[in-house]
Amino acid sequence: MAVQCWSNILKKAKKTALVHDGKRKIHYLFEDGKEMAEEYDIKTDDLIVRKWRKKNSLGAQGQWEVEVGDSYSTAPLQDDLIKESSSNPVLMRKDTKTCFQWRVRNLPYPKEVYDVSVETAERCCIIRTTNKKYYKKFSIPDLDRCQLPLESTALTFSHANNTLIISYQKPKEILTLEQDLLRELKKMKGTSEGDVDCKTQ
Amino acid sequence: MAAQMATTKVPEVRDITRIERIGAHSHIRGLGLDDALEPRQVSQGMVGQLASRRAAGLILEMIKDGHIAGRAVLIAGQPGTGKTAIAMGIAQSLGPDTPFTALAGSEIFSLEMSKTEALSQAFRKAIGVRIKEETEIIEGEVVEIQIDRPATGTGAKVGKLTLKTTEMETIYDLGSKMIESLSKERVQAGDVITIDKATGKITKLGRSFTRARDYDAMGAQTQFVQCPEGELQKRKEVVHTVSLHEIDVINSRTQGFLALFSGDTGEIKSEVREQINAKVSEWREEGKAEIIPGVLFIDEVHMLDIECFSFLNRALESDLSPVLIMATNRGITRIRGTNYQSPHGIPIDMLDRLLIIATSPYTEKETRQILKIRCEEEDVELSEEAHTVLTRIGLETSLRYAIQLISTAGLVCRKRRGTEVQVEDIKRVYSLFLDESRSSTYMKEYQDSFLFNETQGTQMETS
Repeated sequence: MAVQCWSNILKKAKKTALVHDGKRKIHYLFEDGKEMAEEYDIKTDDLIVRKWRKKNSLGAQGQWEVEVGDSYSTAPLQDDLIKESSSNPVLMRKDTKTCFQWRVRNLPYPKEVYDVSVETAERCCIIRTTNKKYYKKFSIPDLDRCQLPLESTALTFSHANNTLIISYQKPKEILTLEQDLLRELKKMKGTSEGDVDCKTQ
Repeated sequence: MAAQMATTKVPEVRDITRIERIGAHSHIRGLGLDDALEPRQVSQGMVGQLASRRAAGLILEMIKDGHIAGRAVLIAGQPGTGKTAIAMGIAQSLGPDTPFTALAGSEIFSLEMSKTEALSQAFRKAIGVRIKEETEIIEGEVVEIQIDRPATGTGAKVGKLTLKTTEMETIYDLGSKMIESLSKERVQAGDVITIDKATGKITKLGRSFTRARDYDAMGAQTQFVQCPEGELQKRKEVVHTVSLHEIDVINSRTQGFLALFSGDTGEIKSEVREQINAKVSEWREEGKAEIIPGVLFIDEVHMLDIECFSFLNRALESDLSPVLIMATNRGITRIRGTNYQSPHGIPIDMLDRLLIIATSPYTEKETRQILKIRCEEEDVELSEEAHTVLTRIGLETSLRYAIQLISTAGLVCRKRRGTEVQVEDIKRVYSLFLDESRSSTYMKEYQDSFLFNETQGTQMETS
């Protein structure tokens, strides 16, 4: 089963955990050289950050790509080139216990403008605006990893305070997988505060 | 909105087109051969040397085929007979996609790196790997460009660029380099452009169809394209060529590609190289990459010593070896690092592997032709008599000396407000600057009055 397959990959990955700043931070090094880093809130066990890094085809280390959480893009303009202005809409993912949730900030238009749909064939969701100001195609990597189908009934969205909030109900398989994973992670000897040597680095 | 559109005028900046400097071989644009590889008398900046150019043409075909690895060619001839010119001609005909690494024999003697390491690096710089990579590009129609100059007049300019597709619109902040290249490309509202996010390279695809009505405002060759669809940012696979050496550098440091910019790369471990070789041949088998063997050109090859030659012997046997072209102007001379004499200062076992192309001195007609080409290159008008005089000088002294006189005579002519260089101008610079043989005669005559000549007899060691 595909869900099983992903949890096996997770089990085989080299994991390093530490507790710092009220967060449980886990670094995974997979067999194919990819790296994943996750941060969980200690009190609520919510996933705050999940990011990925892989080597490019020539072997150089790439940048961290944020899957869940804030992609801190407050860094100044790199190399004098080009950067999206901070006034643009930004999409970030912030999950709750039962839903995958995306927030698009800086979207001042009324709710009627938006149209969010699931493209089952392309395995992605698309946000459209009737005034042609914003368009975004995004996939749900969690479902892709477990090869679960996308359901359009699971998707809802609301708009408040210049923010569009899109929620996708997590399927049963994902919920059990996440609970199992969290139990595993808690069992790990999370070295408490302070520096540790990261064995996977 | 309409008022904002009106402010999209890009201020006209002074042209940033690069001024090419004129080098010794900047007039060379190829080998000057026709399709049957027959050399034309005067073509692509090359004059005469028909046999050697034809030979070089055959080598060029071999390189383009790319099947044969590790061949070595020696171009031998007197000074100023066009050895480097032939090598440059090969480089130019190969085009920008085939790696061509040129170095002088003396360059490998460095204190930071062993000789063999420097040679290995040069070898690997001459092998290209064509590989697909994913990059992020931004593709959209320009809605508005707004560039603000700082109020004080100095400091970095800031700007905003609004791009749209049929579905969305985004505002981008621009850095100073981006502003510069946008104004260099003369990007205007209504243009459809792509920007490579990593390198900042801008490509104009054309004008949007929605702007087709202001047709009279632009040239007839303007292309109209559809406004792009979907998201502004796209991932696109691009094919590019990197050299094996660049891959080595990326993988020899933990801190990745930053080493590429730091310049000093130091020595690269042989394990890393072996790993890369294995990986590259794996890619090739999977069809992910293509190997482009290039050319390594070593000028003044007699400067290499015996260790280098033995290393070259070995390195040429590898199937990941480029075509090696060497040039020398020495006859029978001592092999550096030994007491043995050998033709061209190259050991016999190495010579045995070489295809040797000889160049011969230029005739009067050819010298005249070369001088004419150089005059055009250096933008100097020469009168008929002056040309004849200069040719004479070229034949009696050296071609290089005659070429040196072109721009100096041009300056003398300009100072006297003339438009065309006359015989007097040539005479003037001929008397001002000594050529090699006149300088030697002068030295012989007045040697006694120079410094440090109290002790007669001992000659300076020059070899």
